[in-house]
Amino acid sequence: MKSSRAAVLATALFASINVSALAQEQQVNDPIEPINRGIFAFNELLDTILIKPIVVTYNTVLPKPVRAGITNVFSNLDDVFISANHVLQGRGKDAGTSFGRVLVNSTIGLGGLIDIASMNGLQKGEGDFGQTLGVWGVDAGPYIVLPVLGPSNARDTIGRAARIASDPRTYMPNAWSYSLTGLEYIQLRADNVDNAKMVDSFSLDKYNFSRSIYMQRRNSLVTSGKEASSSP
Amino acid sequence: MASLRVVIFAILSLFVIALPALAQNSTEDLVRRMAIDVTAEVRKNPDLAQSQTQLAALVERRLMPHFNFERITKLAMGRNWSKASPAEQRQIVSEFSKLLVRTYSNALASLKDLDVQVRDSRKNGNDVTVRTQMIGRAKPVSIDYSLESAGGSWRVYDVTVEGLSLVTTYRDDFNGMISSSGVEGLIAMLKQKNGK
Repeated sequence: MKSSRAAVLATALFASINVSALAQEQQVNDPIEPINRGIFAFNELLDTILIKPIVVTYNTVLPKPVRAGITNVFSNLDDVFISANHVLQGRGKDAGTSFGRVLVNSTIGLGGLIDIASMNGLQKGEGDFGQTLGVWGVDAGPYIVLPVLGPSNARDTIGRAARIASDPRTYMPNAWSYSLTGLEYIQLRADNVDNAKMVDSFSLDKYNFSRSIYMQRRNSLVTSGKEASSSP
Repeated sequence: MASLRVVIFAILSLFVIALPALAQNSTEDLVRRMAIDVTAEVRKNPDLAQSQTQLAALVERRLMPHFNFERITKLAMGRNWSKASPAEQRQIVSEFSKLLVRTYSNALASLKDLDVQVRDSRKNGNDVTVRTQMIGRAKPVSIDYSLESAGGSWRVYDVTVEGLSLVTTYRDDFNGMISSSGVEGLIAMLKQKNGK
């Protein structure tokens, strides 16, 4: 009697383990994969023939402290949006931290050049419009590779549009708007050299690998956003 | 007789209460030793960081015994595992672990200035997740180790970096590879990646 109960229990346990393992093996939502692969290949080519050479020159011309300053200034602008999204997600405490970072870095940090906030325990958070939509319950939707900008999904593409619509650079004269955005793009690529190399060496099929990474990362940001908004 | 039973029961229940706590501490210690000692060793020996072969040897000596590569491969293969013959399965395990060791040792040199802190661990049945944080960059990076006890020792079967699971990422990568060029295609690709 006892042993049969144990057997039933063991079977139930194994069954539940198998079910959860199977549940993790969900189909990837990528209905326009052929088009995405085309854009992905284009982005890779663009990166090889144009972006990487620019990044190399950029790194040689500008000394490290200057590049760090540029990273920080864009990061400070981003903190404005991060704090706004923390508010939209109902994350009072995180919104306070993010907004505190903007205040500290814009003043003592000389307009964002130096990340004084991080040195004083105000750690950079994560927040964007796509994440906010996710926290509100909007599904990620199909995977989309955007030209030049790279991996995204339906929800995050809307989030990106919201960001562009609310970014002050959008309303600057074209020359300013384009050069500042270009600068941010190059600096971002320079900051991610190591990550890009890691993906190159770890992946078998770079497209599948990047898609998996993107979807997992966005899911995890939405999950952590939900957790933070439900805890006081 | 009855009192002896009580004593035995008490001792047994002590074990039941104490064992999970012990297990948790030992897994936290294991992760601490793996993550912290390895980076500390690379930091102490600047020559080590210069030599790819020495780094790989360090990873093989200090980390590999604590990773269950067979389990990692099986999980990454998912439903494709049964499509591979036993010989192919062995090949996939060996090539895949080579890929992971090589790429991880390449990355190690750039991680040497970072500190790792163990935050906490959660036990779930035969499974422990140890959460750690890598600090030293603009933002702390969260790294979770999933361990499983088998044959009296705890071994890692998944690593999750900032929400990116090693197993899930490779499951998606392997799956794509297998549906386009089969199990042989996957093995060929793994070998090509390992530079053979």
